[in-house]
Amino acid sequence: MDGRSTCLKNVLISGGAGFVGAATARAVAEKYPQCDITIIDLHPTGPTHVVPDSASFIQVDITNADEVSKALQQARPDVVIHAAGIVPVLAERFGRRIENQVWRANVEGTRNMLEAAKGSGANAFVYTSTCCVVTDDMGRPYPNIDEHWPTSPQPLIYGESKAAAEAFVLQYSRDVMPTCALRASVLCGPGDYQLVPAIHVCIAKRETPFVIGTGSNLWDVTYVPNIADAHVLAAENLMSSKTAAGEAFFIQNNETITFRDFCLAVWVHFGHIPPFELHIAERLAYLAGLLSEASTWITGKTTTISRGSVQDTCAVRYANGEKARRILGYEARVGIEDGIRLSCEDLARRLGIELPCPSELKSE
Amino acid sequence: MGLVGNILYYSIHPAELRAIIQWKVWHNPVHERNEKDETETQKACFKFLDLTSRSFSAVIKELHPELLLPMSVFYLVLRGLDTIEDDTSISLETKEPLLRNFKDFLEQDGWTFDGNRPEEKDRELLVQFHNVITEFKNLKPAYQEIIKDITDKMGNGMADYVRKAELEDASVKTVDEYDLYCYYVAGLVGEGCTRLFVEAEFGNPALLKRPRLHKSMGLFLQKTNIIRDVREDNDDGRRFWPKAIWSKHVDDFDDLFKPENREAALNCNSEMVLNALEHVEDCLFYLAGLREQSVFNFCAIPQGMAIATLELCFRNPAMFERNIKITKGDACQLMTESTQNLRVLCDVFRRYIRKIHKKNTPKDPNFLKISIVCGKVEKFIETIFPSQNAEEANRRVEGTKTEAELERARQDAETRKDVFFMLALMGVIAVIVSIIMIATAWALGARFDLAWQELRGGNPSPKSVEHAEL
Repeated sequence: MDGRSTCLKNVLISGGAGFVGAATARAVAEKYPQCDITIIDLHPTGPTHVVPDSASFIQVDITNADEVSKALQQARPDVVIHAAGIVPVLAERFGRRIENQVWRANVEGTRNMLEAAKGSGANAFVYTSTCCVVTDDMGRPYPNIDEHWPTSPQPLIYGESKAAAEAFVLQYSRDVMPTCALRASVLCGPGDYQLVPAIHVCIAKRETPFVIGTGSNLWDVTYVPNIADAHVLAAENLMSSKTAAGEAFFIQNNETITFRDFCLAVWVHFGHIPPFELHIAERLAYLAGLLSEASTWITGKTTTISRGSVQDTCAVRYANGEKARRILGYEARVGIEDGIRLSCEDLARRLGIELPCPSELKSE
Repeated sequence: MGLVGNILYYSIHPAELRAIIQWKVWHNPVHERNEKDETETQKACFKFLDLTSRSFSAVIKELHPELLLPMSVFYLVLRGLDTIEDDTSISLETKEPLLRNFKDFLEQDGWTFDGNRPEEKDRELLVQFHNVITEFKNLKPAYQEIIKDITDKMGNGMADYVRKAELEDASVKTVDEYDLYCYYVAGLVGEGCTRLFVEAEFGNPALLKRPRLHKSMGLFLQKTNIIRDVREDNDDGRRFWPKAIWSKHVDDFDDLFKPENREAALNCNSEMVLNALEHVEDCLFYLAGLREQSVFNFCAIPQGMAIATLELCFRNPAMFERNIKITKGDACQLMTESTQNLRVLCDVFRRYIRKIHKKNTPKDPNFLKISIVCGKVEKFIETIFPSQNAEEANRRVEGTKTEAELERARQDAETRKDVFFMLALMGVIAVIVSIIMIATAWALGARFDLAWQELRGGNPSPKSVEHAEL
């Protein structure tokens, strides 16, 4: 590792207007203020995901090979960070309704990016993958998994499309353009539109006292600036020692906690402590999920509870961060406690509400 | 608790009674002392061991013969040092040189000390200290060296502390001071024990290269005691909880014990428990480096008791009212489980960590930190004893099987074949027997043609009327 002598000069980030991409753009700009940053994205940059002022923006649909190739020829980056992709929203996560769309963006898009990157003479390609490539095979526990674990054979559309794209990226690794993949765990942080908001909504829905399963299943979560740091480290590695070439890495905060505790910690920030706790056996909840899915099928209205979401809630999913530590020198810069606080503050700002200060909570 | 009380208690808690009986009946020491060949001074040493230590005497006496006397002498020397330090009737001018020079007394034949006040519990040990010195000198030089060195460090640490307490304020303020205090009273013991284990080749020499590990062993035990004894210590005018922690929750240390501050006291207590839990990973790591069963037991029993005690104290308001301790049944259960192997001990740790996790509440300002430290311990245990591994997962995906699985499949197929063979054999026998019986019946004149006709005529059971015609 000699991050100091390596210098990122020209970086292109796909999906740079999104959650992970924008955070990565900020991390690059913070560490290399002189670096040229080009953001390509389907959607223009907005106030939710703040990008550095210095970054230039090109609107590109990554499923369109010509547009991608043109943008890369124009930017001529040393490093391509491919963070664009579709993460299906919860209601679509367990179904196959948008399968074609997800595969086109996640697999075709990645192929277009790789070929355009090679064509424009890039020297490194970092792919934002996900732990779902392994853990989307539902109903199995994944305690302390490492990179030797297989990608799952029967995953959900998200996991399988990302796994296919990841395999393609890693096979593409050559000396002229080494590649690597970063498997992010579940994310939280500024601009998060899935995790913390969904947990916050439970307060209004009065769902907080209900614990599905034992509530003792551990999982990983990553504060998004930490995964952004990992992208910078991976780019530096591929530009210098190349020890990460062709490799996948699990990236997370390395502070495993239970899903229940994560939720409780979020609620506390919004001044809410469940008045009581009611445990619902996993099987019962699974049955409720099944009935709820049936009602969705009949009425066409989607609900939060489904068999998949019950399994997600009860799953044991955490990875061993040793490989990323060893090869990339990755350590989470922001601990999960601060990460949750900052995520909640960001959400409160977006919702236009004020968080109670901790001392008020104490007197409650 | 009287006899009736006991009967009532154990009839509601039969599992505890079972644990006690199990321990008493089934526990065999790994090594038994040979009491017949002991010299007078050795006998005296073991007598004092019983008198001075409640919990340690039993585990020390089950140690491997190689370490039995070194560890006993080590314990008694430190106990002697402690008896001088604890005695508030000895003036600083007398006490300081005694503590600093204690290591040299070990070399002086016949050295004894009778300057303790009569009510000092272990006074007699120092009055007859010549026994310990005799045994010390009989030890291998390498062991003597280790014991002397630790005595030197601890004596000086105690002298510094006594001096500070006398001349200025020795109350524990920062968390670093708290760690340092625990290091002098317990971390050093961990160092001494580890050096003895490695010298006797019962411990991995790598343990000495990571001093953090044996330091944690001592600190975890000491911190647990400090947490549990907070009420008793405060009643005796001693305070070990660092101000940096308690001042976050109450303005005055005595406020911890007032019923109106119960919630603040519990939050303070959980922050102290959190501080102690940071050592758990190191302790389990350390235990993995021990190579001899009696040495493992010696180290593991106190650790198992400590995690259970910590769980008992965690968010337990009774702790501020009286001295609490784990029940006898739990203690026996823990001793049984701590004298097996690291895997069983890890199960114990995971069990108690989960109990702590369950009692953790979001009302506590350290809620998330406690949750994280519990997760860390679970992850660590999963790292040393994985419940699943990548090879299995890969095989599952590829659909291939291991040697063992193939072997089992082969055996299953064989068993099935045997069963089929037996069934076929029985079928053949049945056919042969039938043929013989039918043939015999025919030879004796049975009219099968009539029977057949009746059957075809739709009359499966010919009326008994026909018999009358015969």
